[in-house]
Amino acid sequence: MQNFIQYTVDGLTLGSVYALIALGYTLVYGVLKLLNFAHGDVFMVGTFVGYGVLQELGGPMNPKVPIWLLITLVTLASMAVTAGLGVVIERFAYRPLRDAPRIAPLISALGVSFFLSNSMQLLFGATPRNYDLFEYHGGSLYLRGLHIAGVTVPLLRIITIVAAFVLMVILWFLVNKTRTGKAMRATSYDREAAAMMGIDIDRVIVFTFILGSALAGAAGVMFALRVPTNVSIGFIAGLKGFIAAVVGGIGSIPGAMLGGLVLGFAESYVQGYVPNGTQWSDLYVFSGLVLLMIFRHQGLLGRPDIRKV
Amino acid sequence: MKKAIGLALAILATAIVAASAQGAPKASAVATAKGYNCSKTITLPFVTPITGGAGFLGAEQLSWAKYAVKTIAPQLHLKVKLVGGDTPVEQGPAPAQTLAQKYVGTASVLAVLGPSTSGAVAASTKTYYAAHIAHISPSATRTDLTKSVGGTLEGTPAFFRDVPGDYIQGPSDANFMINSLHVKKVVILDFQEPYSLGLAGAVDSVLKAHGVSTIRLSAPNTTTDYSAYVTKVPSDADIVFFPTQKPGDAQTFAQQLIEQGKKAHVFGGDGSNDSSQFKQPGSYVSNFAPDITGIPADAKLIAGWKKANPGKSVGSFGPPSYGAAQIVMTAIARACHAGHGHATRTAVLHSIKKVSIKNWILGGSFKWSTKSNDPLNAKFYIFQIQSDGSYKLVG
Amino acid sequence: MSDSTPHGFHSTGAEGPAVGQDEWVARHAERRIMQGGPLGKVEDRVRAVPWWAWLILFVGLFCLFPLVETGGYVREVAFNTVLYMLLALGLNIVVGWGGLLDLGYVAFYGIGAYVYALLDSPHYHHHFPTIVSIVIVVIVGALAGFLLGLPSWRLTGDYLAIVTLFFLQLFQTVTTNWQHVTGGPFGILNVDPFGLDKHHQLATQHNGVFAVSYLYVALGIFVLVYVALRMVNNSRTGRAWRSLREDPLAAEAMGMPVNWLKLLSFASGAAVAALTGSLYAALYGNVFPLTFYFVTLITIYTMVILGGSGNQAGVVLGALIVSPLLEVLRDSGKSRIMFFVALVAGLALFSRRSPRIAIVAAATLVFGFVVHAICSAINGSWVAGEHHGGFAGFVDHWVVAPDQMARWIAPASYVGVICIALVVALLSGWKRLALLVPTLYLAAFVWENVMLSKPEPARYIVLGVILIVLMILRPNGLLGERRVEIV
Repeated sequence: MQNFIQYTVDGLTLGSVYALIALGYTLVYGVLKLLNFAHGDVFMVGTFVGYGVLQELGGPMNPKVPIWLLITLVTLASMAVTAGLGVVIERFAYRPLRDAPRIAPLISALGVSFFLSNSMQLLFGATPRNYDLFEYHGGSLYLRGLHIAGVTVPLLRIITIVAAFVLMVILWFLVNKTRTGKAMRATSYDREAAAMMGIDIDRVIVFTFILGSALAGAAGVMFALRVPTNVSIGFIAGLKGFIAAVVGGIGSIPGAMLGGLVLGFAESYVQGYVPNGTQWSDLYVFSGLVLLMIFRHQGLLGRPDIRKV
Repeated sequence: MKKAIGLALAILATAIVAASAQGAPKASAVATAKGYNCSKTITLPFVTPITGGAGFLGAEQLSWAKYAVKTIAPQLHLKVKLVGGDTPVEQGPAPAQTLAQKYVGTASVLAVLGPSTSGAVAASTKTYYAAHIAHISPSATRTDLTKSVGGTLEGTPAFFRDVPGDYIQGPSDANFMINSLHVKKVVILDFQEPYSLGLAGAVDSVLKAHGVSTIRLSAPNTTTDYSAYVTKVPSDADIVFFPTQKPGDAQTFAQQLIEQGKKAHVFGGDGSNDSSQFKQPGSYVSNFAPDITGIPADAKLIAGWKKANPGKSVGSFGPPSYGAAQIVMTAIARACHAGHGHATRTAVLHSIKKVSIKNWILGGSFKWSTKSNDPLNAKFYIFQIQSDGSYKLVG
Repeated sequence: MSDSTPHGFHSTGAEGPAVGQDEWVARHAERRIMQGGPLGKVEDRVRAVPWWAWLILFVGLFCLFPLVETGGYVREVAFNTVLYMLLALGLNIVVGWGGLLDLGYVAFYGIGAYVYALLDSPHYHHHFPTIVSIVIVVIVGALAGFLLGLPSWRLTGDYLAIVTLFFLQLFQTVTTNWQHVTGGPFGILNVDPFGLDKHHQLATQHNGVFAVSYLYVALGIFVLVYVALRMVNNSRTGRAWRSLREDPLAAEAMGMPVNWLKLLSFASGAAVAALTGSLYAALYGNVFPLTFYFVTLITIYTMVILGGSGNQAGVVLGALIVSPLLEVLRDSGKSRIMFFVALVAGLALFSRRSPRIAIVAAATLVFGFVVHAICSAINGSWVAGEHHGGFAGFVDHWVVAPDQMARWIAPASYVGVICIALVVALLSGWKRLALLVPTLYLAAFVWENVMLSKPEPARYIVLGVILIVLMILRPNGLLGERRVEIV
């Protein structure tokens, strides 16, 4: 039973991070019908930015501000930088290709992804960076927390889950209750019609990228608070975020959240309970996904694609 | 636009031709019977991961090899140029093959340092052997590179290493666990790449032979979050043997063990040896070299290195690289002397085995084992991490 | 006959055009050629040369190449280039002809290599004759391609891309973990080289040096594949693929068996990749999982896109450019030469009037010397860095190359040069030219000090930039056709 709770908590934590990444994918896909391969690398840049800001604020051992403020500042800084990066990528790598065949922005995205990860490696080297907040205040983030049925859920995981949830609620609010959100939804239904209705498509797309990339930045900090980061995590993180978005139904925001959680739980339980699961978890998860896509390619909550001729 | 294409193509073609023509080594001079003229600059390539996930390893090794070349080459009246050959671990052993071909074709290469990773050695050693180029690795510890395992020997007579192999590290770690730590249950976690698989297997077999119950886990190379693995560690396990090449991951694992309230300590191999990243008190690390800052004979050397590399700390992978460079240059000097100012690759290859060093950087003196291309009487050292993060020798 | 009025036609005269033919129209081609001037005439002659003549010329030159270059390393790079050419041809079938984005392509390359290794190595103690092995490899590859293509029955476009990407990851996971069969991360070693039988094997090296006979074998296979694919392209299947690529819905409406065509293109591409894999395994003698992963995929894609997807000669050209480029970029001296050549070529290509290039180039030179002089006056160590290899003398006096750089300079200058370059892209007119000068100088600075010190990521950054810039400026690559997608 104890193990089960542990796996569930693990799954929830993993799933929250995946959900945040998946949201970025879904937002962009909904509006542009583009799979942004560079998203995983934006996430990776977010982890590094967070590390840099953490060092500036005194590092894990001698922070100049209380821990709450520290984590908040680091997250906000990361979100700001990744949002900016997302905007620049959109402006220069995707906007010129808005009317090109669908394959063009995909390949451009591959190029951007490659460019980002190798640039980071060039500039910052391949040494893993550890936020290293373990010792802070006697390990308060890691050792204190809620006690559920004999298992301690560390404060850090609770922060991750709650923060992810809060961000998703804010996102939901922005998309459903504001005018720009409405414009976003309109653009994702039919870009040309939205343009004809007077919506400034460029601004909407920029807004979408800001949102998506900022979420990736936040996900980056959440991720890096617990495990060391390095320049190569972008590809795998992006792939997992992908899976989450697609499982939930790409283009659907609740779908991305659900997909992220499903993926997190699936990974955690497969690794925990399936024999040899730790080795083959990737295989099982991917195969499961492929089957899901074949039989229900719009995912769990997505809309089936209707193509008009 | 078509003229533009034509122009572009023409320029590109010219550029490629120009670039490849300039400085292309005339390899037909490789196998002259007389040998390479020792008064000319000798190229010493160092095949190591300079970029990529294990880039810290290559950077450290290169800095020590550079220092060795700077200080020792003039003493031996040799002009040596050190070049780095990059084999990022993310690309597997394949880049090592291309690099091997490149160095085989370069006449000024008489011997090679590295490859540093066991996989790269397996991929390129046959090429080097066929070309009679000696290659000394300061960190490829896989057993079957010098000792036949289950009938297969992956190494060749041209491969040497100046650190002991996993066939020493594995049993030494396992015996330490059995005799000093009195373990009853050990979890062994490998990383699905050659280094950790070999070491994990070696430790597993020794532990099992002594009746210790072992649990084998395997993590993909790209794992960063070990929560699920930590959960699988039984609460009564004593040690988690985790031969990773990323010290940061060892640290994370140790922290997550504490997080989940498990009493097991992490035991890392030589790949986890980095006091700036892996510093969880109570954990263990094994290494093929003692901390050389504790060896008085090395004080001057360390001071000199520190001056050339300000702000860097002495790691554990660097000193064996210094030693390997020292051995290679000594062998080349010997071959040059015997060949009256000219040295062939074969001569260098033969003279390597005859090299012995008195004030070996890792302590004591260095001699080759007569049975294999490994150092004689090499041992592994086991450290425990103290509460201040320092490594204390315990075995 | 003189140039007649546009609307008239002549119905008499043995020398005149035939009845019903408009002479003005008939002379259209001539007029176009004459408009191009002498260069136009040459262009027309060039176009009239049949494709097989080009192929013979190309292969002939390639065969003569080893006579010029006797070094084993360069010959091996040539061999690798031929491998990449084959891979590019295969990817061209799927992406260029079928219009399907296959991101799992290198998995087939890996499957081919592994199957050959399993059939011809001490791993399972099989040593099949080469011909048998190659046939089996091609069949297995085609089957694998077929299997991967099956999801394409129900998935389109982006979804298919995702599934193929997962397939690649799956391949990686399986080869890394299934140790009994694939050797895991240790790979399979001691794979047999090609040969007629066990006693007549084609040695892969002589004293460690690459055996040039393998280059000829690779060229032979290349010619076979090229000709075969050319014939397929000109056949009904090729036309069917083109219709599928242009508009799948219309093709289906026209009665094309769209799903089978997709499967066929996947299978063919996979078969070519598998064949190449066996060639790779035979020469290098070992296979490892990580060789067949994302980096190789992006490299092949760059070649196909650069050359022009859909055009066979184009993708071969792309491979010919990118593969040696990657090798050249390993060495700092040659990289420097490449950089300056690319700079000049870029300027030449994007300026429509030559005086402007000259002005910008001259201004940059002057700017550089001035900055260099100022910096060396302020602090000698700022320009004391060492340079080796090509253009070293020039660079010594032109580029500011500090001996030891403060750590923040590298990221700052790198990000800085990207930002300025993007701003330059946004501006136009004289402002653009003016800002171009410091941009070029800063780019030279960054290249020299930041990128040359780490050739591995620098190589791949160049690839990434090529991809992005290509898609934006010239998505049809060098020899491809501009496509318009009807959505």
